[in-house]
Amino acid sequence: MRLFWSFLFFLVPVLGVLTFVLAPYFNIALPPDVSEHGRVIDNLFMFILYLTGAVFVVTESVLFYFMWKYDAGSNDKPVKFSHGSHVLEIVWTILPAVTLLFIAIYQMQAWAVAKMDPPRDAQGKIIDPICEVTGRQFNWDFRYPGPDKELHTEDDIVRTDGKLYLPVDEEILLRINSADVLHSFFLPNLRLKQDVVPGMKQNMWFKATKTGGYDIVCAELCGWGHYKMKGRVFFLTRDKFEAKLTEMIAEKNTMRVKVPEEE
Amino acid sequence: MIFRLKYLRLFCCLAVVVAAGCDTVEPSFRLNMVEAVSNDTGDAYQQEIQNVLGGMFGSPDAPYVLPETGLDQARLQVAAGPAWSDQAGTNHGLYRRHCVHCHGINGDGRGPTARFLNPYPRDYRPGIYKFKSTYNASKPTDEDLHRVLINGVPGTGMPSFSLLPGSEVESLVEYVKYLSIRGQMETALIRYVYDDLDEEEALDEKGNPILDPNGEPVMLRVPLDPENEPDQREAILEILGEIVDGWNAANEGIIVPAEDQIPSDSRTPEEIAASVVRGRELFYGVKANCVKCHGPTGLGDGQQDDQDYWNKVNKVFLESLTQKTSPAVEAVKQEVAATLYPVRNAIPRDLRLGIYRGGRRRIDIFWKIYAGIAGTPMPGLGPASAGATGTLTEAEMWDIVEYVLSLPYEPPSQPQKALPENLNPISSAG
Repeated sequence: MRLFWSFLFFLVPVLGVLTFVLAPYFNIALPPDVSEHGRVIDNLFMFILYLTGAVFVVTESVLFYFMWKYDAGSNDKPVKFSHGSHVLEIVWTILPAVTLLFIAIYQMQAWAVAKMDPPRDAQGKIIDPICEVTGRQFNWDFRYPGPDKELHTEDDIVRTDGKLYLPVDEEILLRINSADVLHSFFLPNLRLKQDVVPGMKQNMWFKATKTGGYDIVCAELCGWGHYKMKGRVFFLTRDKFEAKLTEMIAEKNTMRVKVPEEE
Repeated sequence: MIFRLKYLRLFCCLAVVVAAGCDTVEPSFRLNMVEAVSNDTGDAYQQEIQNVLGGMFGSPDAPYVLPETGLDQARLQVAAGPAWSDQAGTNHGLYRRHCVHCHGINGDGRGPTARFLNPYPRDYRPGIYKFKSTYNASKPTDEDLHRVLINGVPGTGMPSFSLLPGSEVESLVEYVKYLSIRGQMETALIRYVYDDLDEEEALDEKGNPILDPNGEPVMLRVPLDPENEPDQREAILEILGEIVDGWNAANEGIIVPAEDQIPSDSRTPEEIAASVVRGRELFYGVKANCVKCHGPTGLGDGQQDDQDYWNKVNKVFLESLTQKTSPAVEAVKQEVAATLYPVRNAIPRDLRLGIYRGGRRRIDIFWKIYAGIAGTPMPGLGPASAGATGTLTEAEMWDIVEYVLSLPYEPPSQPQKALPENLNPISSAG
């Protein structure tokens, strides 16, 4: 019986490690990263993963060893009670505490860059938002400032079709707010998410390094439609982005209609 | 150890539970009970109407359309049925995957999540749609329905489906039209039964009326059976033809703004400002009378006592409950009334929010002013159909469009900035 149960528990670290090793082949690894700062976050993730993974494998292996060695069915020696080891207690308190302290300090810069230091222009002023993202149940609406570069003026371009267009290789600041309940604007391929509290305007900033279309998902349960509150962000070169804005302004100003041909 | 009896029992219980959960009941269309009860449709007729509709339109899992409808059967197959994906990754059951939880399996706007929404999801069955490019009484075009799916309806619970492949969006448009045509046919059949199918005298072999003990002729219910009654079949196909004609004529109902009245693309800011001033005059003027509903400040606080078509139907039905009828009818009416959602008034749009449900292009707002919004108390100020005369000229309508678009950015519309805190204690002022 000790064979069965101890190996069953040994499967836990084996399968745990296998999941992460085989993740890329089953498409459950980290999605491709297209942001400048995403690399830092991924490195942090991997560092913590390896550290905790090593501890995990060690502790689970020790568990397996003890289950094997001290199985009741194969041990008939009387139990030996220990009153604990003071040294051991101190060691396995100090060591994890130091490790956690190390991680806490190690990640401060990463957090500050992503959440506390918005990009500033040459004068030190925070750059203007290139788009205001409004989460509502259950859609992402986008408002571009328009030619006057100011939000909430008459030439704003408002889009409700869930497609966000942004320039690539530029510092981008998004203003994010909510129209009704809690949402979270999550860009998996940029390793960024920001919860939005109704009434509170948040900023999110990044620089994308690759063109293409990537997912926007809602990461805060907002109701029955939360699972399908999706969007798509498209990173374009600056000239294509400007052309897209012009296209959207033209659509906004549509005053003519095309009547379909008689079939 | 696994073969011990108590574990075997546990396993069997789990197996039964899992098996019961795996068994699904095929969904079916439910009759429009408000219409049926309002038109005194008896149980036998209800069943026959369901049968006729089943023959004409199939079921939610297996839709069918007669060639007369002009609908694309292949697209309906993709949109209908349970949600699943095939080997090639083509999604099926699109309506059930994306729409049914709000719009209901019948397209009646009574899905499980509908009761939590304000406004209620659209009921397709009357065939009335708010956001379109056609005259008030016309049907929406395919492009109109397509636009609603692509842009969603901001300010409501309807999200955008622009991320779906184009073919899936088109399948959903087709399925919405199918549910509409089916719903219109359902109402028409109920009314046909009420108007045209009366009782007839029972006749014996010689063609003489059979008399009951009192000497009165025995009356038989005329069954609705178009398969065996050519007259009924003809009448029903004629009704279908009328319904389908309405949809086919949608493209002819498109409102095309007159080219010479469209404002130029290269107006100076002064010209635009002048247009806004003219628009304001018209908005607050008597001819357009926008303030009657939209309020003296455009906040939508004018009259708020009217209902849109869909709520009005329910309101009329609920009011009919006060009329005294037989207890059996009363019971059925109460049962149906209990399933209805609370009646809501049609609140005119707050124009200072900058949220435009039916589209925010200039032409979308122009169409709303020209044709009003079908199914709501918003009237059209243009000609009601081609060749008629309207209240406003198109140039005036474009001025109102200019004014309406500027309303959310007027100083009164901007949220007031928080006042700076008074940090000096009042007592220091002496």
